[in-house]
Amino acid sequence: MNIVLQDEFVSLDLLLFGLLWPLLLSFMLALKPIRSLTLQLAPWAALPALAASLLVAPSEMRWHLTGVMLGSELGLDATGKLFLLLTALLWTVTGIYARTYFSLPLQRTRFYIFFLLTMAGNFGLILAHDLLSFYLGFALMSFAAYGLVIFNGTPAALRAGRVYIILVVLGELMIFAALVLAAKTSQATTFTAVCANLFSTDNPDLVILLGLIGFGIKAGILGMHVWLPLAHPVAPAPASAVLSGTMIKAGLLGWLRLLPLGEVTLPGWGTSMLILGLMATFYAAGVGLTQREPKTLLAYSSISQMGIMTMAIGLGLLAPHAWPGILPVVTFYVLHHGLSKSALFLGVGLGGSHHLLQRRWIWLGMCLPALALAGAPWTSGMLAKMLLKTHILHAQTPWDTLLPPLLSASAVSTALLMARLLYLIRPAARLSGATPVAGLVWPWLVNLTAILLLPWWLMPTTSSQESMYIMDSLWPLLLACLVTIAVLHTKLLRAVQPLPAGDVLLLIERGYRRLCRMGNNWAGIQRILNELQQHFKTHQATLVTATITRLKQIENGFVRWEVASLLMIILAVVVGLIASQSFSL
Amino acid sequence: MNWDPLIPVLTVASSLVPGLIIFGLAEERVRLRTALNLIGALIKLALVGWMLWGVYHEHHYETRLALLPDLELVLRVGPLSLLFVTLSGVLWMVTTIYAIGYLENSPHRSRFFGFFSLCVTATVGVALAGNLITFLLFYELLTLVTYPLVVHRGTEEARRAGRTYLIYTIFGGSLLLLGTVWLYSLTGTLEFTPQGFLSDLDAEHRPTLIIIFSLLIAGLGVKAALVPLHGWLPQVMVAPAPVSALLHAVAVVKVGAFGIVRVVYDVFGIDFAIELGVTAPLAWLAATTIIYGSMRALFQDELKRRLAYSTVSQISYIILGVAIAGPIATIGGLVHLVHQGLMKVTLFFCAGNLAETLGIHKVSEMKGVGRRMPWTMAAFTIGALGMIGVPPIAGFISKWYLGLGALQADQDWVIIILVGSSLLNAAYFLPILHAAWFQKPPHSWPEDRDFGHKETAWTLLLPPLLTAAMALVAGLLATLPFSPLEWAKLITEREFYCP
Repeated sequence: MNIVLQDEFVSLDLLLFGLLWPLLLSFMLALKPIRSLTLQLAPWAALPALAASLLVAPSEMRWHLTGVMLGSELGLDATGKLFLLLTALLWTVTGIYARTYFSLPLQRTRFYIFFLLTMAGNFGLILAHDLLSFYLGFALMSFAAYGLVIFNGTPAALRAGRVYIILVVLGELMIFAALVLAAKTSQATTFTAVCANLFSTDNPDLVILLGLIGFGIKAGILGMHVWLPLAHPVAPAPASAVLSGTMIKAGLLGWLRLLPLGEVTLPGWGTSMLILGLMATFYAAGVGLTQREPKTLLAYSSISQMGIMTMAIGLGLLAPHAWPGILPVVTFYVLHHGLSKSALFLGVGLGGSHHLLQRRWIWLGMCLPALALAGAPWTSGMLAKMLLKTHILHAQTPWDTLLPPLLSASAVSTALLMARLLYLIRPAARLSGATPVAGLVWPWLVNLTAILLLPWWLMPTTSSQESMYIMDSLWPLLLACLVTIAVLHTKLLRAVQPLPAGDVLLLIERGYRRLCRMGNNWAGIQRILNELQQHFKTHQATLVTATITRLKQIENGFVRWEVASLLMIILAVVVGLIASQSFSL
Repeated sequence: MNWDPLIPVLTVASSLVPGLIIFGLAEERVRLRTALNLIGALIKLALVGWMLWGVYHEHHYETRLALLPDLELVLRVGPLSLLFVTLSGVLWMVTTIYAIGYLENSPHRSRFFGFFSLCVTATVGVALAGNLITFLLFYELLTLVTYPLVVHRGTEEARRAGRTYLIYTIFGGSLLLLGTVWLYSLTGTLEFTPQGFLSDLDAEHRPTLIIIFSLLIAGLGVKAALVPLHGWLPQVMVAPAPVSALLHAVAVVKVGAFGIVRVVYDVFGIDFAIELGVTAPLAWLAATTIIYGSMRALFQDELKRRLAYSTVSQISYIILGVAIAGPIATIGGLVHLVHQGLMKVTLFFCAGNLAETLGIHKVSEMKGVGRRMPWTMAAFTIGALGMIGVPPIAGFISKWYLGLGALQADQDWVIIILVGSSLLNAAYFLPILHAAWFQKPPHSWPEDRDFGHKETAWTLLLPPLLTAAMALVAGLLATLPFSPLEWAKLITEREFYCP
């Protein structure tokens, strides 16, 4: 961290280069004559941004790009630097991984075009310090990622893509409304100005609500999370890695930028986010435990982990004075989760080997991120949870007493989830994914090394003693181990049926069907319900067709010029009459 | 000698003269015709550049010709007129290149290009008109010279569409005439004035003025395709693609919207219009049109028809911006005049390319077309995303200003309209993009024309790429000097809300 650039112009150039290079490459991929050359460069597209994230000194300084949109502001603060470091690292690792993962050049070209566009959007939103640039980066990332989600083109992928794009559009529109509302009073479009003036707007609560849901869709907030478990299993492994590793964090960054964190106490919003986060943590872990597809399980694990980060933000809204301490913890948590989750997704993609020994090695490698997520001693997970716990004390009662045990319980649930994952991908399990060749393994190993080293290097300083937490982090793990061993000795695992991915979406449908079936059992109600249903169906059908025909008729009416001219003559006569009236007045 | 009074006349003449000469040319004199067209367009662009510089430095150009006693033909160059002249000049150039490629070896090209030039002449005349009577003259001229373009193909369908078009617009024109004459009888002047020229009138005339306003808006609303006067527009899409492009982007539809801007700001004056209470109904009418047009677009399988309904919806953004009656919303409306033009012209060019190259006319035939014609579809994607309002494409800047302006004018409901419209736009554009880029292409296209290793002729490909790039740059570099947004701000400061 000692070698940093002090020259602001060189810094800006480096940042801009890191941002524009993937964009340029994706454009170059479209040009056939230089495509093979570009394909050589594409895997390394995130390197300039990685260099920038390492070399540029974080500061509160902003660069104004006059002329871009409505006056763009770029900058790299401490939060942004950590986000950029994680993001650039993961995009580099997955970029290299994808080079070998896709063997056909045509397939690779298609993948990289969307991959690079998504990457550029992701970098852009991290550097953006004004509403419009952030929104631009967010939109670019969200829309381009559609190409990654449906890349395989299977019916499941198309369905996931549909759910994804609908939620993206809804999210975009909510964010648009939130940003316009927020920009109204501030008269400026920088986040600093907007945050400061948020409470002079007519309805700050509406802005917060729209922001929470709009960004929450990306962050997989409970209720808006349905796209995650659908999209992750169908997307190619490198795409899932960045999707879960960095892209869902963009929603979180949106909250960090937009919400007036550390400035005002918002008990209502704080408590809601806290509860929502906690619910997501346990609910997603519960649903995830039933899964048999490793990538679906990992998607649920991401929702669960994002729940913890949502909770931390809720904490910040409850206790603004503690926010300067909580913010580095949240970003550290983002780093920890991003690195581990990406390694898990990339590792799951390596399960295609026929050699038992190879499978064992990979399984062992997978243990590292799994343990890190579960918060095992001396891992990034332990550090993250330890840091989080030191700040819980700032919360008001009853949260200061409730949260520590709840956090430990979440650690247990995460550990169980990871145990379930390790069981699912055990060396003896069936083959899935690609054959682990060198081109896939070494980027994965880089990712694993990053999990081991980076967190220790980038950990925010804290006064508390680590030794205390080693025991604290050990017991959830041991408990989870015991439970796992116990479960493995029963037949429980076979009995558990996986909840369908996209749980709530399907539960609603299922509940409706069950309600209908229940009605069928009672003879009396059956008849009435049937009739009602029938009536509703026919009525609905006729209503719909009638509306459509009516619309068509009206439309045809407009089109027929006779009607049009008649209408206008009538209009002219009426107007003339009224006019003559008013003249005589 | 002072050249200033000549410049507006020259601007009009730069398309009128080539148009008239082309009528007399034999069909096979392709080169001369092309040269005339391009020279005319280049001269116009040069004049536009000259005027832009002059007007920016507070220079004014005006021509007055006596038409009738008391009534003059006035051509005046102000910021607002220049915005529209620039748009039509640039798009005329691009569309001409496109039309040359599109109509290669087809019959009646002299007739086509002649009327095409006249169409631009009329549009420029409308833009430069300094009073309502001049406006009306060119407005009617536009109706007459676009008719031959609409029926150019000569098929029964085209004739029917032409008939509908003529009936609609002539009746619209007569309403406009009625309003204009009535207004003249009240005031004795029709000169476009900043802040309007009606606010001094006695209070007893107010009901009359409201009726005149409705007459003028109804007359202009026919061309601007306000619901329920929009019926002609989807029919007219049978016209050749360059005509549709010009019709939807600058000529007819835009002229209606431009006229509404003129009536609200330079005839009535915005403050007086608010006082009369006519802006709120206009805003509601525009909002209805926005939603209705998008709803109808959802169910169209024919690509050009879908685009036509999308125009119905998008044009009303301009009218909405005007009717919200606040400086920021006005900027949004005015800038959309340009932005919508750039995006819609791109979409129609692309639709024409699909039809000419592969015989694709329907959305359902567009599966996998992105692989066959990637550049065309890239331009289409930019246009479509811009219509939805995805940054950084120009449409987003319009939407942002409209939304912000509506909030500033305490009309929060507009946000719901904007969001709803964006949602509907997404609902009818995104499936097209999905089909084009991600679905498997069929074994054969309806009518595949071979262009060697290129996807289509370069005269067909270059224009949409150019306009798509302009739409992108207009949004991405929205605050550079002389960008459409900055010009719209200049108009609003100097003409509409001057202190």
